[in-house]
Amino acid sequence: MQTDWTPVALSHDIPVASAAPGRIGDTALAIWRSASGRIAAWSDRCPHRGMRLSHGYVRGERLSCIYHGWSYGEDGGCKRIPAHPDLTPPESIRVPVFACREASGVVWVAEGQPAGAPPDLAGFRGLRSLHIAAATGAIAEVFGGDGPVLRVKLGPVAVIALVQAFGDETMLHLMAPESCDLATLDALSDAAEALRRNIEAEATA
Amino acid sequence: MILYDYILSPSCYRVRLMAALLGAEMTSRPVDFHPGREHLSPEMLALNPAGTIPVLTDGSLTLRDSTAMLSYLAAGHDPEWLGEDTPAMRATVAQWLAFSQRLTSSAGAARAHDMLHGPGDIDVLRRAATLALRELEAAISAQRRRGMIFLAGPRPTIADIACFPHVALAPDGGLPLDPYPSIRLWMREIRALDGFIEMPGIHRLHELKPEPGPMPDIRQTRTTRDPKQNA
Ligand SMILES: N[C@H](CCC(=O)N[C@@H](CS)C(=O)NCC(=O)O)C(=O)O
Ligand code: FES
Repeated sequence: MQTDWTPVALSHDIPVASAAPGRIGDTALAIWRSASGRIAAWSDRCPHRGMRLSHGYVRGERLSCIYHGWSYGEDGGCKRIPAHPDLTPPESIRVPVFACREASGVVWVAEGQPAGAPPDLAGFRGLRSLHIAAATGAIAEVFGGDGPVLRVKLGPVAVIALVQAFGDETMLHLMAPESCDLATLDALSDAAEALRRNIEAEATA
Repeated sequence: MILYDYILSPSCYRVRLMAALLGAEMTSRPVDFHPGREHLSPEMLALNPAGTIPVLTDGSLTLRDSTAMLSYLAAGHDPEWLGEDTPAMRATVAQWLAFSQRLTSSAGAARAHDMLHGPGDIDVLRRAATLALRELEAAISAQRRRGMIFLAGPRPTIADIACFPHVALAPDGGLPLDPYPSIRLWMREIRALDGFIEMPGIHRLHELKPEPGPMPDIRQTRTTRDPKQNA
């Protein structure tokens, strides 16, 4: 299945008031959730001295940089510079903001303004994101599909594999049927580990 | 109780962190590990023939393994940190302590290689560390499916404290933690524990620190400083 949206994380891995690293294409992302639950994906570079904003901290509806504490609001604009508390930061100090949606427990990001909504994966929930040291092509080959959303079998279970290029490697976001019990989820997690071992062994063979 | 200690050593930090979380009194005796190689001095080798730090002494007891020190501190101050007193849980904790030494010899050795020109084949060390980090990630994700986050049950134990430092410092050895969402959330919980202390490269959860304000004016600080401090 093709879409303009890239799956970058599972929602349950980014709890309220936290930031996490991700990427889209060659761009490093800071994916963060505000205290009210709003999700956002920004360029992972603080406009001040380039510190990674994904290492930053969230207070209320703002993301702050751990280096010198500059804090940025919803629109990516700098709202506060602690060393100059009386200064209103100029409009020009701004973090690039990406289009970001949350659907079916997945965080989707796009470059530009995509026309449609992210894919609807109703009936599934996020299980795990796994990093695989092999290009996406190697994973698509194993699953025999194309595009970032693959409906495949893992053992006896029909799952959804969201395949994301992560540099020249891959992030696999695995979705399990909502009806799965704990033992099945554990078995799926083990199966995903085994799959990764096989893909990497083949990629280096 | 005396800890023969080196500020930049993750294995020493394990023990400092555990003591702080327990509120245990301990005297730190700094060892000039780098560049002085004081851990190999005759006095230190007499304490620990293996030539490693940390070493913990308490009266006539000498401990030479950091995970044994964690057990000793927890047993003496708050046995809840040893994990639930069942055969399965005690074995699970023991297994994580052994696992933490796999982290020492992989992620820790990769960091020593990159920061202190330590020995070893860096690709082999990073590969071994990646396998260990993946194992940890899988285990924490399994705990999260059960509504938990710590390694051995619903509360933190010495298992978490043994594993935490080498994981948190893995990026120093060229091992980014970006691919490990469950490890990241687990580290957040540890960094937020009451009594948590920092070491260079490992910080208390920033959300819990006071909002940064303006930098103190250095000139002013200088003129008001007690002149005796400059002596
Ligand atoms: N016995 C281990 C040793 C820990 C360890 O490897 N310590 C390092 C410093 S972080 C060390 O002393 N290395 C000296 C050497 O191996 O020569 C422990 O207590 O956990
Ligand atoms: S680099 Fe971000 S505030 Fe200075």
